[in-house]
Amino acid sequence: MLTVTDNKLPLITLLGHPNSGKTTLFNYLSGKKYKTVNYPGSTVEYSISRILSRFEFNANILDSPGIISLIPCSPDEKLSVNYVYNHPKYGKTDLAVVTLDASQLSRQLLLVKQLIECNFKVIIALTMVDILNKKGIDISTTKLSELTGCDVVKIDGRSGEGIDELLKVIRINMNLLNENNLKHTLKDYDKNKIISLYNDIERIEKDVLFNIEPVVKDNELINIENANKKLNVLSGLSVNGHRKLDKSTVNIDKIVLHKFWGLIIFILVMSLTFTSIFWLAAPLMDLVDTFFGNLSEITSNALGDNLFSDLISNGLIAGLGSVLVFVPQIVILFLILGLLEDSGYLARGAMILDKPLAKIGLNGRSFVPMLSGFACAIPAIMATRTIQNRKERLLTIFIIPLMSCSARLPVYALLLAFLIPQDQPFIAGFSLTAIYIFSILSSLLIAGVVNKFTSKINSLKEKSSFIIELPTYKKPKLDTVLKNTFKNANQYVKKAGPVILVLSLILWVLTTFPRQNTELTSDNLTASNSLLLQNDSLTLEEMDSYDLSKSYAGMLGHFIEPVMLPLGLDWRVGVSLIVTFSAREVFVSSMALIFKVTEDDDEGKFQEGILNSMREAKNEATGQKLFTTARIAGLIVFFVFAMQCLSTVAISKKETGGWKIPLIQLFSFSILAYIMAFITVHGLKFFGIS
Amino acid sequence: MRSAIELKIGEKAIINDIDNTNPSARRILEVGFTPGEEIELLFKPVFGDPLAFSIRGTLIAVRSSEAKCILI
Repeated sequence: MLTVTDNKLPLITLLGHPNSGKTTLFNYLSGKKYKTVNYPGSTVEYSISRILSRFEFNANILDSPGIISLIPCSPDEKLSVNYVYNHPKYGKTDLAVVTLDASQLSRQLLLVKQLIECNFKVIIALTMVDILNKKGIDISTTKLSELTGCDVVKIDGRSGEGIDELLKVIRINMNLLNENNLKHTLKDYDKNKIISLYNDIERIEKDVLFNIEPVVKDNELINIENANKKLNVLSGLSVNGHRKLDKSTVNIDKIVLHKFWGLIIFILVMSLTFTSIFWLAAPLMDLVDTFFGNLSEITSNALGDNLFSDLISNGLIAGLGSVLVFVPQIVILFLILGLLEDSGYLARGAMILDKPLAKIGLNGRSFVPMLSGFACAIPAIMATRTIQNRKERLLTIFIIPLMSCSARLPVYALLLAFLIPQDQPFIAGFSLTAIYIFSILSSLLIAGVVNKFTSKINSLKEKSSFIIELPTYKKPKLDTVLKNTFKNANQYVKKAGPVILVLSLILWVLTTFPRQNTELTSDNLTASNSLLLQNDSLTLEEMDSYDLSKSYAGMLGHFIEPVMLPLGLDWRVGVSLIVTFSAREVFVSSMALIFKVTEDDDEGKFQEGILNSMREAKNEATGQKLFTTARIAGLIVFFVFAMQCLSTVAISKKETGGWKIPLIQLFSFSILAYIMAFITVHGLKFFGIS
Repeated sequence: MRSAIELKIGEKAIINDIDNTNPSARRILEVGFTPGEEIELLFKPVFGDPLAFSIRGTLIAVRSSEAKCILI
C-alpha cells in the first residue's frame, strides 16, 4: 500500500479525448470542491480535487486537459503531457483513468495503447455505450480487458451508473501498485508506429464489438418479432455499423454546413447570442448597480460624513459594484457559449470561419475567444489556449481588447443617449449595432495589418493547423453547462476582481486627496471659483467639483489638457478618461462626479441628470458648449479602440509571458484611439456637423 | 495518386497512404486517417475550406492544406 499522507496521496489522472465524458466524470467524483489552477509558469490549466468523501476513498484526482495522443503538437500540449508523467506538485501519475467514448472506440484506443506502452497503469472508463447501442452494436468489457490488459468499466458520469464499480476497480489497482512499481517511459511515435498501433486497435475492435438489434424505444410498437430480434445477439461484427455516422447529425449538418443556409444560420445564431447578452443582462445589471448604489448610500449615511465613511462607501463598495456589475453579462455569455458548445455547434462555427480568419493570420479556433471578448477580454484571452500555433494565438490575444466588451456598453449607452432623442430607441439600437460592426471590422483589419507586418519581420514559420472533430449533435447537459458557467464567472471575479478593486481605491485616493481646507480663503480661489462664489449659491455638489479640480486626479487632468484640446474637450473629460483605465464603465460615474450630478434614487433620472449637465457644460476658456455631436462621436470612437483596462493588460502579460505584447497593445491602441477620435471630430466638422 | 481534397462531395474513397512530408501528417494519422480506412467527403461550408470528412464513424474537419497529405 502507498503511504497515505496529506503530502503524497495517490494521484489518479483522468485522461481522454475532448468530448469523451472526462469532465463529467471528474465533476461527478469531485463534486463542487475542485480547484482550477494553472501549471506553474504556464498557461495550461488543470483541475485537482480529493475524491469525494462519500466515496470513502483517499486520493487526489487530476483532470488533465483533453489530449488525443501522448505526442504533443503544441507547447501547451507538451506541458500537459509532461505533467501526466510527473506533476511538479502531486508527483507522478499512479493510476491513469482513461475515458473512452465507446462509439469512437478505434480512434480513442490510440491514447490507451500509448499509455500502456509507456508503462502507465491504465483503467478504461467506457462512456457513451448508449450511443453505440443505438447503432446496433454492443461492446464486451471482458474481452476488451483481456486484449488490453487493463480493467474496463462501463460508466455513465451523468447518472453515476458504474461509478461504484469504477471505484472498486481503482481501489484494487491501488493496492497492487507497490508490487509492480513501473517506471513510465517516453516513446516516440512515427508514421509506421502509429499505423501499426491502429492495426492492433482494429483487431481489438473486431473482437470486442458485436452486433445487436437497435434498442427499441418504448413508444415504438413492440411486436413479438421485434422482441425476438432484440434477444438474438449476433456473434462477431458482421457489418460496418460502428463506422456509420450518426444519421441525424449528418442531416442537421446538411443545413448547418450548407454553403448558403450555413451562413444564414451562423449569422442568426450570432445575432441571437449578442441580443441576449445585451438585453437579457440589462435588467440584472441594473439590479446589481442599484444594489451597490443603495448599499453605498446606506453605508455613507450610517458612518456619517468623514473620510473613513467616504473610503468605504465611495471607494470600497463602489469598487466592488463595478466588479460585480458585469457578472450577469458574463454569466449569460458563458451560458450561451456553453449551450452552443455542448450541443456541438461551436466546432461548426469555428470551421465555417476558419478560412476568412486564416487569411488574416488567425485560426478557426480564434472564433470562440473572440466571441467571449464581447463579454470580457479576461476570460477571452484565457480561452485562446486552444490555439496550437503560437503566432496565431498571440495575434488573437492581440486583437481581443478591440472586441467591444461589456464594460463599454454603459459608456456607449450614455453617449448615444446624448446624441439621440429618447423617443427614438430604434435609432439608438441601430447605432449601437453599427458601433459593434465597426469594432469587429476594424479589429479584423488591424489583425490583417499586424499579420502582414509581423510576417515580414518574422520569417519563422510555425505550421498552422486546423483539424477539429465535429461532435455528434446532442441536447446540451444543463447541469454541466451551469457548472462551467459558474466556474468561469468565479474565475472572472477572482482574477479581475482584486485588480479592479485596488484600482478603484487608487482612484478614490486620487480624487479625494490632497484634502483641502473646507474654509475657502481668497488666496486659493481661482477665477472660476470666484465666479461661482459670486452666485452666492455654492452648493455641496459644486464644492465637490471644486475638490476634484484641486485633487491629484484634477492635477493630472490639467496636465493632460493639452492633449484633450485638439479633440475640443477639456481637463474634466481628461480626468474621466484617465480613471477609465481602472474599468471603462467608471467613465459614467466619473462624468457624473465631475459634472456635479447627484445620484437620484431613480436610475433614469440619474442618466438624465448627467445628460443635462453635459448639455449645459461650457468650455471654461471660450464659454462655448463643451459637448457637441462631433465631439461625442469622437469619444465613442475613442472608446472603440482604446485599451483602457489594466486588468486586460495584466492578463495579457500573464498569457503572453512578458510585457512586450501588453505594452504594445496599451500604447498602440491608445494612440490609435486618439487619432481615430481626432479624425472623427474634425471629419464631421468638415462635413458641417459640429 | 489523388489526394482527398480532390474528392467530390458525397464521394467515398479508401486511404492509400499518408504523405509524411506534410507537417500535419502525424496529427492526421493520430485522429484516425490511416491507410485502408474509408473516407467520404461530406461537407464544404460557405468559404469552401476546411473540408469535413467522415472517418471511423465520426466527422472531422481538416484544412485543405493538411488534407492534401491524405492520398487515395
